[in-house]
Amino acid sequence: RGQPKMAAYLTHQQKVLRLYKKSLRHLESWCIYRDKYRYFACLLRERFDKNKDVKDMVKATELLKAGEEEFWANQHPQPYIFPDSPGGTSYERYECYKIPEWCLDFWHPSEKAMYPDYFAKREQWKKLQRESWEKELKQLEEETPADGPRTEALPPARKEGHLPPLWWQYVTRPREIPM
Amino acid sequence: MEATLLLNTSMILTLTILLTPITLPLLSKTFQNSPLTITRTIKTAFLISLVPMTLFMYSGAESIISNWEWKFLMNFKIPISLKMDQYSMMFFPIALFVTWSILQFATWYMSSEPYITKFFYYLLLFLIAMLTLTLANNLFLLFIGWEGVGIMSFLLIGWWQGRAEANTAALQAVLYNRIGDIGLILSMAWLALSMNSWELQQTFTPTQTPTLPLLGLILAATGKSAQFGLHPWLPAAMEGPTPVSALLHSSTMVVAGIFLLIRTHPMLSNNQTALTTCLCLGALSTLFAATCAITQNDIKKIIAFSTSSQLGLMMVTIGLNLPQLAFLHISTHAFFKAMLFLCSGSIIHSLNGEQDIRKMGGLQKTLPTTTSCMTIGNLALMGTPFLAGFYSKDLIIESMNTSYLNTWALLLTLLATSFTATYTLRMTLLVQTGYTRTATITPMNENNQTITNPITRLALGSITAGLLITSFITPTKTPPMTMPTLTKTAAIIVTILGILLALELSNMTHTLTQPKQTPLTNFSSSLGYFNPLSHRLNSLTLLNSGQKIASHLIDMSWYKKMGPEGLADLQLMATKTSTTFHSGLIKTYLSSFALSILIILSIY
Repeated sequence: RGQPKMAAYLTHQQKVLRLYKKSLRHLESWCIYRDKYRYFACLLRERFDKNKDVKDMVKATELLKAGEEEFWANQHPQPYIFPDSPGGTSYERYECYKIPEWCLDFWHPSEKAMYPDYFAKREQWKKLQRESWEKELKQLEEETPADGPRTEALPPARKEGHLPPLWWQYVTRPREIPM
Repeated sequence: MEATLLLNTSMILTLTILLTPITLPLLSKTFQNSPLTITRTIKTAFLISLVPMTLFMYSGAESIISNWEWKFLMNFKIPISLKMDQYSMMFFPIALFVTWSILQFATWYMSSEPYITKFFYYLLLFLIAMLTLTLANNLFLLFIGWEGVGIMSFLLIGWWQGRAEANTAALQAVLYNRIGDIGLILSMAWLALSMNSWELQQTFTPTQTPTLPLLGLILAATGKSAQFGLHPWLPAAMEGPTPVSALLHSSTMVVAGIFLLIRTHPMLSNNQTALTTCLCLGALSTLFAATCAITQNDIKKIIAFSTSSQLGLMMVTIGLNLPQLAFLHISTHAFFKAMLFLCSGSIIHSLNGEQDIRKMGGLQKTLPTTTSCMTIGNLALMGTPFLAGFYSKDLIIESMNTSYLNTWALLLTLLATSFTATYTLRMTLLVQTGYTRTATITPMNENNQTITNPITRLALGSITAGLLITSFITPTKTPPMTMPTLTKTAAIIVTILGILLALELSNMTHTLTQPKQTPLTNFSSSLGYFNPLSHRLNSLTLLNSGQKIASHLIDMSWYKKMGPEGLADLQLMATKTSTTFHSGLIKTYLSSFALSILIILSIY
């Protein structure tokens, strides 16, 4: 509830905040020791706060442009990237172990017989998915505007006894770190 | 006689024991491999391989086993011949010891992997290929081992194949090794043509060996041992899991190129051009790698560049015509480099996957065993007197100082030695000392024996290996005994200067001045701009020339210019010049025809 709507363009506030966070992260990559980082972070914050109340959009945009250019000139060549973020050392490391769930259907019956209760339960889940698929599609078709969806968020279930649309993809998603 | 028999038997026994994890599951139906069985196999093989080593140390017994010839041609024989000389007999226990420690560590490190047994299989296959390479008496068997380690390196670097960077790195490793293989195949072809054999005993020529096959061998070593020019794959190979980096890219695989040059050094020793190439190439590699290592922030990349730098130093030793010293450096380097990688693996797992040294600090108090062994390894790397690295590194620098060779190479090597001290101390200061900058909740512990035992074992090796090897192996060439004091202490002085530089730089990071990009730090951070330049320029020129050949050369030139359009152009040119000649006065032409016919008729 109350989630921000993504539009096609960024507001000025969003751009300034993104520049601030970017420059703080690169400052953290430069100033390894925490006290030095805190000192320069406070200086940076003061520079941003000085122009906080500029009401003239032209001047504000010029300040932002100058700030972006200064960031580009002073950025760190090897910025610190968290291991699980894109570009980090563990990113997508376990992607090769994330197999889709429909591979279970291709197991040999002798292998399936090793886990009989799991596969029996799975048959019930698949039956549920087959029954609710039409209703999910109908709900999505009704709720999507004519010129395409506005956001990536899926709507919740509206009627009693219905399941949220595309719930199967969410429920059968692979683990983050495989066993 | 008995010594040789015992030697041969124990070596073959070692090899057979190493093959048991592959053969036993085929023979018995209930036997299942597990990481534990493979580790125990390697440990048994190590203990048995101590027998040939002690035999060699005490009786100097060497042997060559030769069996089963591949009757390829009538007068060209390719036997499976195994050479047990000082190099292979010393390398076996060292490689098996290091591998045993790494595998024991990997049972903890990779314990959350679904396919851990396959991982251990790959490491075992790699080890077998590497030992084949060391035992080979002819270049054919060596080539089999060479390619084997290349393939296993590809499979192991790209272990987590869902990751795009890992696939790129594996591809880089294979391509750069392939470029080196061109050189190896060139030398093998020359040898087959001129010596009619690939046996190492036949490669010796009393006169000067031609430079071309030697350049081929040097190219092979450049590719496999990551010298400057074919080096980018080694830092990229850190995408693989840490046991892979510890085994392949620090102790065993990357020394295969240097090992090839050690095996073929009779060919190299009388060609001064080849030796100078080795010297200058090695000096350039060692300085370049040391320069790049100074500004790296990923702990594995720092150790990777350190490996690259030490490989350059080994190449310098080959260039000084001292293969035995190069082998000594290979042996001592294996111990402390593998230990450094294992320590970094322990740190990475303790910090839940964090590899950046900017987010480590104060680990001396929280991981005492790991960091103490890391300090021992770093001291050995810097060449601290009487640790393992000292016996090889100091001797190399002394020999270089006292030889009358390239001064430029000497200066580069000394500079690289000081940089070694610089980046090592930088790593130590940022990782182990000061206040901690790690995340607040970490699974930090050293309670597992499977972590501490391998690391302490290798630490013991780092301290004692240099002394033990030099005490028991007789040198083939006399080292320089007397030299001025400055020459003798050059390595230590340069190391101390590097330490002072590192302390000064760390002081600067504490002072409140805003750090900036400077050309020097940019050169070092972007690894000398080598990667984008070579990777993009190469593919760009290749694709451009391909496009020009395909469309311009074939389509435009052959089909148009040489063919119809060209002919049409020629015709057009001819007609344009000759158009103005005739003026179109038909009546005058007809009357001239009639007049000339009348004159001819009137003559006849």
